[in-house]
Amino acid sequence: MKRNAIFSAFIAMAFFTGCNQSSNKESGSDAGDKLVIGATMLSMQNEFIVNVSDAMEAKAKDMGVELITVDAERSALKQVEQVESFIGQGVDAIIMNPCEVEASSPAIKLAMDAKIPIINVNSETSAKPTAFVGSDDTESARIAMKYIAEKLGGKGNVLMMHGFMGQAAQIRRDNGAKEILKANPGLKLLAEQTGEWDRAKGMSLTENWIQSYGDKINAIFAQNDEMGMGAVKALEAAGLKGKVLVVSVDAIPDALQAVKKGTLDATVFQNAKEQGGKAIETAVKAAKKEAFEKEVLIPFQLVDKGNVEKFLK
Amino acid sequence: MNRSSKSGQYGIFFAFALICLVLALSTPKFFTISNLLIIGNQVSINALLAFGVTFVIITGGIDLSLGSMVAVTGVAAATFAHPDTYPLVVPLLVGLGAGSAMGAFNGLVITKSKVPPFIVTLGTMTIGRGLALILSKGRPVSNLSDSFNFIGGGNIAGIPFPIIILFVAFAVCSILLNKTILGRYMYAVGGNEPAARASGIRVSRVKMWVYTICGLLSALGGILLTSRITTGQPNAGAGFELDAIAAAIIGGTSTSGGTGTMTGTLIGALLIGVISNSLDLLNVTSYYQQVVMGVIIIGAVVLDGVGKKD
Repeated sequence: MKRNAIFSAFIAMAFFTGCNQSSNKESGSDAGDKLVIGATMLSMQNEFIVNVSDAMEAKAKDMGVELITVDAERSALKQVEQVESFIGQGVDAIIMNPCEVEASSPAIKLAMDAKIPIINVNSETSAKPTAFVGSDDTESARIAMKYIAEKLGGKGNVLMMHGFMGQAAQIRRDNGAKEILKANPGLKLLAEQTGEWDRAKGMSLTENWIQSYGDKINAIFAQNDEMGMGAVKALEAAGLKGKVLVVSVDAIPDALQAVKKGTLDATVFQNAKEQGGKAIETAVKAAKKEAFEKEVLIPFQLVDKGNVEKFLK
Repeated sequence: MNRSSKSGQYGIFFAFALICLVLALSTPKFFTISNLLIIGNQVSINALLAFGVTFVIITGGIDLSLGSMVAVTGVAAATFAHPDTYPLVVPLLVGLGAGSAMGAFNGLVITKSKVPPFIVTLGTMTIGRGLALILSKGRPVSNLSDSFNFIGGGNIAGIPFPIIILFVAFAVCSILLNKTILGRYMYAVGGNEPAARASGIRVSRVKMWVYTICGLLSALGGILLTSRITTGQPNAGAGFELDAIAAAIIGGTSTSGGTGTMTGTLIGALLIGVISNSLDLLNVTSYYQQVVMGVIIIGAVVLDGVGKKD
């Protein structure tokens, strides 16, 4: 009997989602002259992605287009299915914030085959989309590491905290940082380890590093602000913050506050608002068959105590 | 009735001592007071969760919603912990209340529906994660008061406050398990539920208690974590349940119920903490860290098994 109940729940669910899709389709065609854009986002649990999504929402409102946003919850499979249903609904353009370089690629082909323009925002896929709007992660690490090299006068011991190993952002930020380290032979990479993008993990890792290297540490580069904030907390507790430079990437609100207070030395600003806005603009142009840029690169900006006010709202 | 195996405890203690000895010999930085305090600090959250889940596992259940409860309670507490808003007791009560309520919900569904705890807590794990995101609107809750941040970041006479909390919790949990009727009932329910029921123990009530206590301890962990990183993060605590369950099992708690001690669980948690601390000290690359961690965990339990046979 229990099995029956579960089974009927499944049927009900399938029926419900089926209905939902068909009603969406109607509203898509009903809109008539109003352009409809479907957007699938990597994860709405990620603050930065939420900011990009908010910017897209605002821009869509400004331009008078209808935006349907769905959350892929980090699953490439789900993302491909979402793009399929966008195609089924007959949207005018699709914006994809890819979950994975390879696994999200089939979605590009599906949209291309259906002759619907598809724009990648923030990160890439191996398949080439209609257009790409985002920033080059390698550059963010270059900027951060250059700042460290400059502040240390090209000489000192550096520790690097990685994101989740193997993710595109981690690999790019690693490459960018190593490039600058190579160009500055006076900088020595004492150790590198993952903090998994997480503040608590970054804090524990820094505590352990302090045990290992203590006074020898001159600078820490964290591949995102969360871990950077963790490093700052650990250094403060050990009374070392004044002596160690900490630089991270993303410019989340917490990090901006820390830069203002002087606890975090610098962060690198990735412009969520520009990325979201430009993604909508490009999608609208592509849908209307107007001319558009195939690659819109939004530059990163270094944020330190000197210019932090500009980024605080 | 008390079936906690003393010999098993010695086995894991021996394994733990051996690993510490090896580490102390391989790096001079391991066996220093400051490093030991850091390990204690880092272990505290996992140990609190592990104490909670030890009660649950002793009664033959499981709780997978620990990590999500950490997130919900952390975010809930943080919401009321901004400076100059509420006195410190408010965020603490909100956090602990939320954790106990979620734990009680687990207990209620498990005892009323007869659905296995694995499934129920798998459900509440997802529900909890969603609640944390709803409460925080997907963004970290920061700007917390100094008094709140003291819980995870302060120290008394040089001893980090989390370590003090850890030892108080350890003492309370040990007494609860060993010296109270409720503790005896937990072993009885896990050892043989029909027999326990036949002998007049109200099994449902015992289960309600263990899940509620587990929720309360998760909330304590959530508050500690939030205070330590000075933000309530909706995605915090993911995967914590596995570390906590691992600590309990390494410490000799049997997944089939009826067996387990708080001392064993504490050593299990310390073992995990010591390993992850020393792999950082030795600068073992992150890829290898995971492999080494797994090997040592299996090794420790095997050693424990050898100890039991003697």
